[in-house]
Amino acid sequence: MLELRNIKKIFNQNTVNETTVFDNFNLSVKKGDFVSVIGSNGSGKTTMLNIICGSLPIEGGEIIIGDRNLTGQKEYKRYKNIGRVYQNPSLGTCPSMTLLENMSLADNKGKIYGLGRGTDKKRINYYKQLLSRLNLGLEDKLYVKVGLLSGGQRQAVALLMSTMTPIDFLILDEHTAALDPKTAEVIMQLTRELVIEKKITAIMVTHNLKYAVEYGNRLIMMCDGKAIIDKSGKEKEEISVDDILDTFNKISIEKGN
Amino acid sequence: MKKFMALAIAFALSLSFVGCGDSSANESAGSTDQINNEASEQEHSDNDEKLKISIAQFAEHGSLDNCREGFIDGLKEEGFEEGKNIEIEYQNAQADMGAANQIAQNFVNDKADLICAIATPMAQACYNAADGTDIPVIYTAVTDPVAAELSNENKLSEKNATGTSDKLPVEQQLKMIRAFMPEAKKIGILYSTSEVNSETAIEQYKEKAGEYGFEIVESGVNQSADIPMAAADIASKVDCITNLTDNTIVSNLAVVLDAAEKASIPVFGSEIEQVKNGCVAAAGLDYIELGKLTGKMAASVLKNEKKANEIEYEVISQSNVYINSQALDKFNLSVPDDMKESVIEAE
Amino acid sequence: MAITLSILEQGLIYAVLALGVYITYKILDFPDLTVDSSFPLGAAVSAILITKGLNAYLCLIVSFLAGAAAGLTTGIIHVKFKVRDLLSGIITMTMLYSINLHIAGKANLPIFNSENIFSISPLKDYLGGFNTLFIIFLVVLAAKLVLDWYLKTKSGYLLRAVGDNPTLVTSLSKDNGTVKIIGLVIANALVSLSGAVMCQQQRFFEISMGTGAIVIGLASVIIGINLFKTASFLKPTTAVILGSVVYKACVAIAISFGLSATDMKLITGALFLAVLILGNLGKGKKSNA
Repeated sequence: MLELRNIKKIFNQNTVNETTVFDNFNLSVKKGDFVSVIGSNGSGKTTMLNIICGSLPIEGGEIIIGDRNLTGQKEYKRYKNIGRVYQNPSLGTCPSMTLLENMSLADNKGKIYGLGRGTDKKRINYYKQLLSRLNLGLEDKLYVKVGLLSGGQRQAVALLMSTMTPIDFLILDEHTAALDPKTAEVIMQLTRELVIEKKITAIMVTHNLKYAVEYGNRLIMMCDGKAIIDKSGKEKEEISVDDILDTFNKISIEKGN
Repeated sequence: MKKFMALAIAFALSLSFVGCGDSSANESAGSTDQINNEASEQEHSDNDEKLKISIAQFAEHGSLDNCREGFIDGLKEEGFEEGKNIEIEYQNAQADMGAANQIAQNFVNDKADLICAIATPMAQACYNAADGTDIPVIYTAVTDPVAAELSNENKLSEKNATGTSDKLPVEQQLKMIRAFMPEAKKIGILYSTSEVNSETAIEQYKEKAGEYGFEIVESGVNQSADIPMAAADIASKVDCITNLTDNTIVSNLAVVLDAAEKASIPVFGSEIEQVKNGCVAAAGLDYIELGKLTGKMAASVLKNEKKANEIEYEVISQSNVYINSQALDKFNLSVPDDMKESVIEAE
Repeated sequence: MAITLSILEQGLIYAVLALGVYITYKILDFPDLTVDSSFPLGAAVSAILITKGLNAYLCLIVSFLAGAAAGLTTGIIHVKFKVRDLLSGIITMTMLYSINLHIAGKANLPIFNSENIFSISPLKDYLGGFNTLFIIFLVVLAAKLVLDWYLKTKSGYLLRAVGDNPTLVTSLSKDNGTVKIIGLVIANALVSLSGAVMCQQQRFFEISMGTGAIVIGLASVIIGINLFKTASFLKPTTAVILGSVVYKACVAIAISFGLSATDMKLITGALFLAVLILGNLGKGKKSNA
């Protein structure tokens, strides 16, 4: 499904601040996988996501999703079959537009944004139905500007919006980090339901070790641009939060922190 | 609630600023309004009745100010004196087109008895604003009333307007330069592309230059900031520079003089104010006279002798040669003998 | 009465410009200085075509298209050549100055002796003194209704989204740049249309007529949006139009009280600041979101 081949990423190339994040990084994700990615700050998790989406250019290597080679393709084109939910809840929605307008926008992804009516009235009931499963009472707030909703509500909407149209690949970029624990739990549940229901391949970057262990069928721990733990299937099921913490500590000691 | 506060403050602000302005003028203007409104319903014989003369000037500028002064003098000579039988309201647009339209509109709304519009854009704004009313517009300092569509080819206006033109005495200027500098070949002219009058004047210069053995080198600028470079460039290519009445260039006269001095060439002006400020000489219109002439035209309209659209616009052809002896000395120039009698020292 | 009429005329003409500025400033969050030249561009195009005998109403359409081209230029400079927003506008504005002079042929082009949209109005005889206002009102109404309609289309949704949250537009697999260009095209087309109407109303083109157009536009938008914020039944486009009229009214009142043009810019700035301070909420809320 997703192939990262020999990725090379250098920041500030040819300056004194030159930093190599990835040198010959490889990753292969199978269709239907739900991969949790953890790692300390600066380990390259978010950089990896940005490379996949094209927010950052790469100095070498190839990015392939399905049968499409995305290398060098413009960011917005890559999103054709990719959905992304950000850490910041306001990045997934338009604050000055109403909930209904936001839903309509997302519903049209992949089609032409022409001069047709922005909101298809026939779809309103469908949107309500989608929103009602969140149990956040949002189905009654269709005409409220999204900017007035809480962070958790917005993140839930962002998740719905990003999976509304058929996508192959979902990127979750620490999408619960800015939420309180209870809301985070709700969002994680919803994520799992959507991923299973729509059979989406997903990569989730998180700092929450519990979620990393609990959710998904594969776990990757990154350090200095390498995957130092990569467990899937049965091995993944057996791994515990303590095991990961041990590894974290070991790295920290090696690094002299 | 907030919006009311905002509105209130907005208005209060504009009013308070008005208050800071010329308060005495406001009061007198205000009181005239009342007098006029009451008076206009009465017969003309009423002693208290004063005609309202509104002067709209496009920009602040020596020549234009002289026009205004002359206009007031001209009216006075014909028996219309401020405070006695007329009240004068004066507004200056400071070269802002939006303000010019607003001022014109206000004068029309205030039912002025006559509007005097100084300089081309102001004349056009007033001409347009007064269209459809019976307020006569008397313009002055319009270089080419026909090109500005204020008048037809027969020097008469289609609407209730007439005035005076300040067409540059180009031939006299060329003749004068030839007299001062018998050897000179090239004359440089700086102008700004935004002023239509300058283009007209350059065409005239080019047309006539040959007759006096000159070649015209012109250089257009788009903004004040371009003048130092353009002046230095043109000064290196010509034997002398002559000015038009171009507002942008005249406002930056010091820069032009400086560049010319570095190249040791003299600058000739186009009117007395420029000579006062350091140009060697000018065959210039007397703007006070131009204003007076305009004032007299206005007077004859006010006296109901003629309607404005029955009066041909006038061009004053007579010009004086103004000199600045100090500046002439600097470039080792002297007044030709046959002109010694007629030149006027500009002070 | 006469003063009310002239305030409404002037205010509504500039309202079309304000609608354009509303798109760039409020929707796109793009400080577009092209306005100072696209306003006289519309005037220059209209004036020269009128002197060539083209129907005055058709002139409005050509002016509208010319403005669209100006917006397209700014958009391409910004998006394709990655020049900063403010600079792209300044570059186009500067170039247009010369182009405007070339179009009109000179710095001041009168059209006193030609027909214009007001003089050829079929309703002229019935409306008398209100003819001019009526025609201007129709133009504003048309501009407003079309803009309202557009903002409700899919393309319009995307335009609103791009200023609000460009990341989302990318996530929807749409190019931010293209959307911004569309916004600039529409905005400058409206500004140019406003210039065309202005020129036909004052019946001459003057190269300096665009000076400060952006300030008038911004003031109208800010006054309109902030003053009528609490009136939620008003569409923002309506608020902007009212803002333009309020602004012109303040200026006209100031002048008729004898305020000299020397102080005008000071007042404009102060008025601007007062409304901003009083309504310093719109933008703040947005960034807290």
